[in-house]
Amino acid sequence: MRPQASLRRPANQAVRIILVTGMAALSLSLPAPAQERFRRTPPLPDSQRLELKLPPVEMFSLPNGLTVATARRPGSSLVTLQLVVRAGEADSPPDRPGLASVTAQMIGKGTKMLSADYLENWIESLGGQFSAAVFMDYTVLTLTVLDEALDRAIYVLRLMTLGATFSEHELAAVRRIAYWQLYQSKKDPEVLAWRQLLSVLFAGHPYRAATYNEDVIKYITARDVADFYGRFYRPGNAAILVSGNIDGAAVAQRVGSHFGAWTGPSSERIVPPPPPTNDRARICFVEAPESAAATVFAGNLIMGSSGRDFFPFLVLKQILGGTARSRLFMNLRESKGYATYAFAEMEVFDSCGVYWVRALVRPESTVPAVREILGEIAALASVPAAPAEIEEAKSYLVGSLPLRFESSLGFSEWMARYVALGLGQSQWDKGPEELRLVSAEQVGEAARRYFSATPVVVIIGRPEWLGAYLGDLDAVEVYDTGGKLRTILHKGGGR
Amino acid sequence: MNKTARAFVFLALILLPIPAPAGSQESGAAPSSLPFLFQEYRLRNGLRVVLSEDARLPLVTVAVGYGAGTLREKPGQEGLAYLMENLMFQGSDNVSPLQHIAFIQKVGGELNATTTADKALFYETLPSNQLALALWLESDRMKSLVITPAAIGRTREELLGEYGERVAADPYLETFSEFDSLLFPDQLYGHPVIGPRMKDLLEGDVVDFHRTYYVPNNAVLCIVGNIDPGRTRDLVAKYFDSIPPGQDIPSPPQPVFRRENDVVEGHIRIPSESAGFHMGFRFFPLQAGDAYCLRILEYVLLEGETSRLKARLLRRDLTARYLTGTLDERPSIAAIKLFCLATNAVMVARSEKAILAEIEKLRSNAVSLEELDRARLRFKMDYFDRLSTNLGKARFLVDAHFAGKRLDELGGELAAVINIGPQALAAFSAKYFIPQNRVVLEFGPQ
Repeated sequence: MRPQASLRRPANQAVRIILVTGMAALSLSLPAPAQERFRRTPPLPDSQRLELKLPPVEMFSLPNGLTVATARRPGSSLVTLQLVVRAGEADSPPDRPGLASVTAQMIGKGTKMLSADYLENWIESLGGQFSAAVFMDYTVLTLTVLDEALDRAIYVLRLMTLGATFSEHELAAVRRIAYWQLYQSKKDPEVLAWRQLLSVLFAGHPYRAATYNEDVIKYITARDVADFYGRFYRPGNAAILVSGNIDGAAVAQRVGSHFGAWTGPSSERIVPPPPPTNDRARICFVEAPESAAATVFAGNLIMGSSGRDFFPFLVLKQILGGTARSRLFMNLRESKGYATYAFAEMEVFDSCGVYWVRALVRPESTVPAVREILGEIAALASVPAAPAEIEEAKSYLVGSLPLRFESSLGFSEWMARYVALGLGQSQWDKGPEELRLVSAEQVGEAARRYFSATPVVVIIGRPEWLGAYLGDLDAVEVYDTGGKLRTILHKGGGR
Repeated sequence: MNKTARAFVFLALILLPIPAPAGSQESGAAPSSLPFLFQEYRLRNGLRVVLSEDARLPLVTVAVGYGAGTLREKPGQEGLAYLMENLMFQGSDNVSPLQHIAFIQKVGGELNATTTADKALFYETLPSNQLALALWLESDRMKSLVITPAAIGRTREELLGEYGERVAADPYLETFSEFDSLLFPDQLYGHPVIGPRMKDLLEGDVVDFHRTYYVPNNAVLCIVGNIDPGRTRDLVAKYFDSIPPGQDIPSPPQPVFRRENDVVEGHIRIPSESAGFHMGFRFFPLQAGDAYCLRILEYVLLEGETSRLKARLLRRDLTARYLTGTLDERPSIAAIKLFCLATNAVMVARSEKAILAEIEKLRSNAVSLEELDRARLRFKMDYFDRLSTNLGKARFLVDAHFAGKRLDELGGELAAVINIGPQALAAFSAKYFIPQNRVVLEFGPQ
């Protein structure tokens, strides 16, 4: 039996129900309330101009040639300590690709007095995180700690870098991990495409050293590592970077007290001249049997990190494929339905740079997608971009620039690049001003200069797609996932 | 008190900000030992608002969380919360489909959304002089989202298509959802955020779900960055105050967990040559302080190369190529989840055995102070790292809100974790690391 109380509604509740019902009935008889006017159109931005103010990078030079660079980031509880060495993948000898990377991985794997385990325990007992990253022209060893552990972190970094030893035992472990990572990376179609693109664009050039696969790792010996270390890990070829809530001058002094005794002649690293731009139609197909969709890259060479076209080209790349609003995405995905995504990227090195389009394409749409990509690149070279399009690209770039400096990691990565490549203030916090000054003429000039030449096309996909979907292409170079040329297919099925 | 006076007091109460504890450095600012200050208040329609100022960069993050996660799905509605999240980009009265993304990207912003058990979260980081744009966009879809059968069909088709592509590209992907269904046998937690049943959802399901849960009184708006708090309050009032509240929101359903009699084990075949396993430990019902123990245990076991499990499997025994793990904290239950790729099929069993041996050590021997200090420092570093960006702070605050925490007490959490001692860890381990809480899912080549 239902409790009596539940059968009765309190009087005030009954009244409320009547009121609500009445109001509901009333509202049904009235026209919908007019929308507030401010909701109809997007609001204008606040009038104040956006200013990107980064802490200045203070540079100090020690008598031994070592550069110390500091940047104060108030409010940060983390301090990032980096050793930048001006030698990267491009500096590995032609017969020892991957040596720069293996050498960096060996830092922290033991000194004369301390084992790898001891050093690793020590770093982690500081709460620290240590990592090594090798780029085309430089290497960055990064130790991040809480600010309270900075002094000890400087000491540890000194011990493990200046006192590094390279035992066969530790090298075997590093080789094993590197082998596995490189082997696994071949399952990523974008990694395969990137390697293939670089190997074509940089054939015969030192930068091709960055395109190695796991097979070469086993040939690297402890002697090779020691030689590379001896040649490039020198104070005159290195810099110590510290960023965090620090007193730059005081920290530089402490760094000096630890690294001032580091000796060694200056290294004469030669920046290689850029190779010639690709100027003929080349389509490379890398057979990846597990592909679910076709990955398409198309790219060519551009200016280096200090090139005068740097900012105009940024705008150009943005117009081509910076976001989902850009030409490639709107054409290949939204209009034609060929692709899941299509974007444009660029990476600049010391000597030159590379731009590339990357797209994930339905296998049956590969050929038309490639044609559309090449068409969009050529169109920018031949027809100037509209002023509104240029202004929108600039607006995006100016607005997004501060994002890369938000995290400690982002800030320190950019600072390392800035110091390693000796970039000017325009690539520190003057980027927005430089971008605002980019003119339509400069964008057009950059387009003609870099988009007139025929890009190299790389397609990653299943072998059976060659016959099924790519028969219309004039000539296709077919490679395996290790980068080895297997055959060249011609239109009509000829080899 | 007469009715008029009572009504006045009531109105004043709902218009006033939630009072800040004593010691505020500014009016409405909540003092705490968090590395940042914030203000918290609520609009008349129930929308909770949190503001935090950080003037270091010309950026602002706007995050809107709705209590509309997968926990709100009824049986047969699996995938509804995720579908709804994506429909939020399909247009509202004044914003065309996908134009929300376009507006944000046009000014150089970044945006994303995510659905978890407890919430759907939408966020964008953009230049701080464009704050009004983000508020305009978020308020428009909160007030007047347009849901059409065509949009539902198109979005569902895209989501299922992209999910199919991800499954085809990642042989391990489906093992994760399979493992979750073993680890969380309750229907509420045991189903994935997306799956083939999404295609069976009806338009009415979507409309009801939206009408019930995508309302201001079930949402939190968090704004962090280079803002003027006074002007930001004005903008929030302008764009959100007139959005009508929804009906009262029922409390989320409480999953019911049953302890098994022994270890739960499973095995599935995958299209890959690798062999490995998932292993998980469930912790329920959690008592006060247990969550702090778990956070330290996660670091003792898994964070850093010298953590117990990584050192043992990847460095000493060499039975595994890859090992990762995470602490999955959900309302009323938590789990430590491990994912291991063994060096070969034979090493699967050896890796599992080694993990259990390390767990047994935790149960029988106190963690040394040195090891504990290392875990504490790593935890502290990750904690500060997480809070170093506007988005990190916003997500921290929104997560805490939906976890039912008082935001003005968050500052004490770091100290509570750091203060966990060896005895508390040993007691926790002895209580929870038992076979009945363990789940293992092995996978190998077909």
